[in-house]
Amino acid sequence: MTGYIVRRLLQLLPVLLLASLGIWAMIYAVPGGPVASIVGENANPEQIREVTQRLGLDRPVLVQYWAWLTSALTGDLGASLHAREPVLHLIMQRVPATLQLGFCATLVGLLLGIPVAIASAIWPGSWIDRTLSGWSALALGVPTFWLGILLILLFSVELRWLPSASAYVSFFDSPLQALRNTAMPALTLGTYVSGIFARFLRASLLSELKADYVRTARSKGLPERDVVGRHVMRNALLPFVTIVGLMLANFIGGTVVTEAVFTYPGLGRLLIQAIGSRDYPLIQGCILFILVIYVLMNLLVDVLYAYIDPRIEYR
Amino acid sequence: MTARRMQRRIETAKRLFSHPGALLSGAFLLLTLLLAFLAPWVLPIDPLLQDVSASLEPPSARYWFGADELGRDLLARVIYGARTSLITAAGAVAIAACIGIPIGLVAGFFGGWRDAVLMRIIDVLLALPGILFAMAMIAVLGRSQLAALVAVGITGVPSFARITRAQVLSLRQRDFVLAVEALGGSSAYTMFKTVLPNSWSPILVQVVVLSSVAILLEAALSFLGVGIPPPTPSWGDLLRTGKSFLYEAPTYAVLPGIALTLTILSLDTLGRTLATVLEDRREIAGASSEGSGR
Repeated sequence: MTGYIVRRLLQLLPVLLLASLGIWAMIYAVPGGPVASIVGENANPEQIREVTQRLGLDRPVLVQYWAWLTSALTGDLGASLHAREPVLHLIMQRVPATLQLGFCATLVGLLLGIPVAIASAIWPGSWIDRTLSGWSALALGVPTFWLGILLILLFSVELRWLPSASAYVSFFDSPLQALRNTAMPALTLGTYVSGIFARFLRASLLSELKADYVRTARSKGLPERDVVGRHVMRNALLPFVTIVGLMLANFIGGTVVTEAVFTYPGLGRLLIQAIGSRDYPLIQGCILFILVIYVLMNLLVDVLYAYIDPRIEYR
Repeated sequence: MTARRMQRRIETAKRLFSHPGALLSGAFLLLTLLLAFLAPWVLPIDPLLQDVSASLEPPSARYWFGADELGRDLLARVIYGARTSLITAAGAVAIAACIGIPIGLVAGFFGGWRDAVLMRIIDVLLALPGILFAMAMIAVLGRSQLAALVAVGITGVPSFARITRAQVLSLRQRDFVLAVEALGGSSAYTMFKTVLPNSWSPILVQVVVLSSVAILLEAALSFLGVGIPPPTPSWGDLLRTGKSFLYEAPTYAVLPGIALTLTILSLDTLGRTLATVLEDRREIAGASSEGSGR
């Protein structure tokens, strides 16, 4: 097992190196290069020389990359051009908001998705199955930003129950306010995820229901509720864990659109603001941060899967 | 194209459109295509003509979908937005296919170090959620319609590469491929003339599925304000602006969303039905070749 984890980590190394090279090179691909992105395009030669020297841009390119990479590894992602604050600090301020939204959305997705999957797997091909499959297709097809707008129209404009712009309030500080502010974004994102969950779990349940042990359980007279609840669910939930984990990984950066709809102050909005104001150190920092978390979460899910299913070979 | 292959395609199309969902989706997409590309000649509407006195007018006999904040006809903007979406999606899918298919072909056909290197590059493309990858590319390229098209296209490369590779791997050791090689067919000949023509089914499904993904991604980017720059009408940008007028003109953000959602759902339905139809066909073909004592 340890060997498997080490091997997977080593496999990740070239990917992370190549990706970091890409993120670092971003700033050089911008018209005018890194200097123009910092001093602006109308800077005088004095300023340009000063910035070039301060950032060490007159050094060989590989040396520059190495310096950037080593300081990034120690958590120094540079300073934001506009906020004049360390990039990592700005990112860390936003992480709790995105995490809270991600967890709530996953919860909504599970609450909506699991019953749908079970109902349609128990009666495959029935009108219930067809209706619920239609629902899953709808959940996946409706763009989250449009669904978000519809929810705002209903709950904020028509009914005036919830604020149309969501602030970040931690559940630990004020549960009621947190619920008011997180409900709509979580429902929006959760509906989409429920479609993925439902489709995946349905397929997984259907393939388990064909297994020999199900026939044995049924033929010894076990009630259908126990067959599904005790035997099938346990086995079907196994691959399902991976999907839930992958979704959580996705949410580290994947809440961008939902955050934009509800002007929710998460990591995604920070990135959009950074792109809007051409704050390149902040853009690089956000992307590098999301990338590392995303890749490591993916690895964690694989390892977890191998751990809970002894049939998987660690190769 | 041989007559037999032509006939098989007609057969597949017939089977596909015998599903009511696929037929409905196909009809909607055809209508959207016709409207989007014939609009300048057929419809007496202009997406850029401003009439400030009609600003944010609700739907009426003159403006079926209402008017936007500058008094421009929203129906016209939704129809011309379809044009933007469809062109961007088509371009993006073309880019994804032109890069992804050869990568998958080479990786699967040769294996070894070529496979390892190419698949690591694909892993890098997959190291970020698609929308973030596209945003990063646009941050570098600057905001333009071409940048959106390229960014969406590059995010689609991995799926083509992987599907083609999987298909090639399953065909690589089949008798007819080995036979072509044994008869002295060059690698290029075997790849493009023998393996690729037998890999089209899953790639075709991918084209349809990815079109829907590309339309959604482009709309999301424009909604975030990093996609297609105004004044070019696009569905994502209409939703973005419409969102600022939810109290004054609620239909503004609702109607473009319906067009977007129906297009995505249609493509998705078409793609999934096509996948089952092609799967059935392969099962039949597989059964007959089993019978021939393979």
